[in-house]
Amino acid sequence: MKKGKTTMIITAGIVCFILAIVMTMQFKIVNETDITSIENMRKTELQEELANWKTKYEETNQKYEETKQKIDEYKANQESNEQAAQLIEEELEQAEMLMGTTDVEGQGIIVTVRDLENEEMVENIDSGDLILIINSLRAAGAEAISINDERIITMSDIVDINEGGYIKVNLEKRIFSPYVIKAIGDPAYLESSLIGNGGHVDKLKKAGHEISIEQKDKVTINKYDEEIKTKYIVD
Amino acid sequence: MSNKTVVSVVLGFMCMALTLGICIQIRTVKNSNSTVSQNYEENNLRAEVLKYKERYDNKYRQLEEAEAQLEKIRENVAENDAGLEEAENKIKKANKINGLSEVTGAGVIIKLEDGKKNPMVLNPSDLIVHDLDVLSVINELKNAGAEAISINDQRIVSTTAISCGGNIIDINGERVGAPFTIKAIGLPEYLAGLSRVGGYLELLQGYGIEAPLEKSNNITIPKYNGVINFKYMKNVK
Repeated sequence: MKKGKTTMIITAGIVCFILAIVMTMQFKIVNETDITSIENMRKTELQEELANWKTKYEETNQKYEETKQKIDEYKANQESNEQAAQLIEEELEQAEMLMGTTDVEGQGIIVTVRDLENEEMVENIDSGDLILIINSLRAAGAEAISINDERIITMSDIVDINEGGYIKVNLEKRIFSPYVIKAIGDPAYLESSLIGNGGHVDKLKKAGHEISIEQKDKVTINKYDEEIKTKYIVD
Repeated sequence: MSNKTVVSVVLGFMCMALTLGICIQIRTVKNSNSTVSQNYEENNLRAEVLKYKERYDNKYRQLEEAEAQLEKIRENVAENDAGLEEAENKIKKANKINGLSEVTGAGVIIKLEDGKKNPMVLNPSDLIVHDLDVLSVINELKNAGAEAISINDQRIVSTTAISCGGNIIDINGERVGAPFTIKAIGLPEYLAGLSRVGGYLELLQGYGIEAPLEKSNNITIPKYNGVINFKYMKNVK
């Protein structure tokens, strides 16, 4: 009687122990399944990912070919100072274009948003609205952007000055409604980033704002006309 | 005797509960596995993605080598001519501003981390760092005179967009998850103004998000990890 009871308890103990171990192992496997890794993506996500890498590859390849070509040109013109000077000038021009210190033109869109007068139910456009519009345009591949002819560069800020009831960009430039936002890039793509479902212009429209978007074959965007100083980046 | 019955019943229940647990677990694992590995088409796509990623990585390395070579040649060419040397220095400076080369300097480091579960916060979404929060912090840093910024080592350049993709944020087309480490170069005292009373970081902290700011005299911000090509814009002649 007594012996049988002990055996039973030991057996039960062992069984419980094994079961508990198996469960812990299982939990671990489930926990380690990383939902962000490529192993666990579904078909549509994978297709997007593939398109993304293909584009990145092609862009890199194109840039590589261009760089190679520049190297060859330099090599071919090493003896001629005049030619070398021209090559350096070209490179500088490209760098300045990217910085936003040159006037540029190209296909794009012009978005106009304005505050509604005598309409107290609708809030005025604020810096957050403009930041979201610019972010959407950048996500859609905008190459150059300006608001009321103030060029938006990498380090441009947009803030509300509440006491004055206006918005300030590039640290000191005041801008007022109507806000005319110009962007260079694929016009259809730029527009769709704003008006598509969840697009910020769509939201503003639903809130009652008047908004117009024009697709243009040629948009001209002014340069940033201050010197860009770097005092804290160490040379 | 009745004692023995109680023990058996308890043991029986325990075993049943454990077995049930295991069955559920095995089924969960099996389910997720079958969708992952049994789909032939998805596997092909996955292999294709890896192949392109590798091709990209190789090409990017080649590009970096070529760019280094180009810079060397340009330096050589400009060496003996004061005018060319000035242009060459301007290109170098522009590359720093444009995010095409690594930069160092004084500044601040801000961490944004999702808040811990808190019974006082009714909306759990408040505890999560959103794309708009990151955009606002970046905008405030620019307003405080930042000269270079990165988020989890993704350099902010003129084409950088920050968008929400589920609980992951997409920056420069790369997926980035919380916690976010934002580095900025500029005057540390100005940049540290973000943590002032009534500032944006305090607002985030009010929601339960953790947002510590730290000044540093030596911050390194990496170069942009990608290629910027313009297809539509041209300089006005």
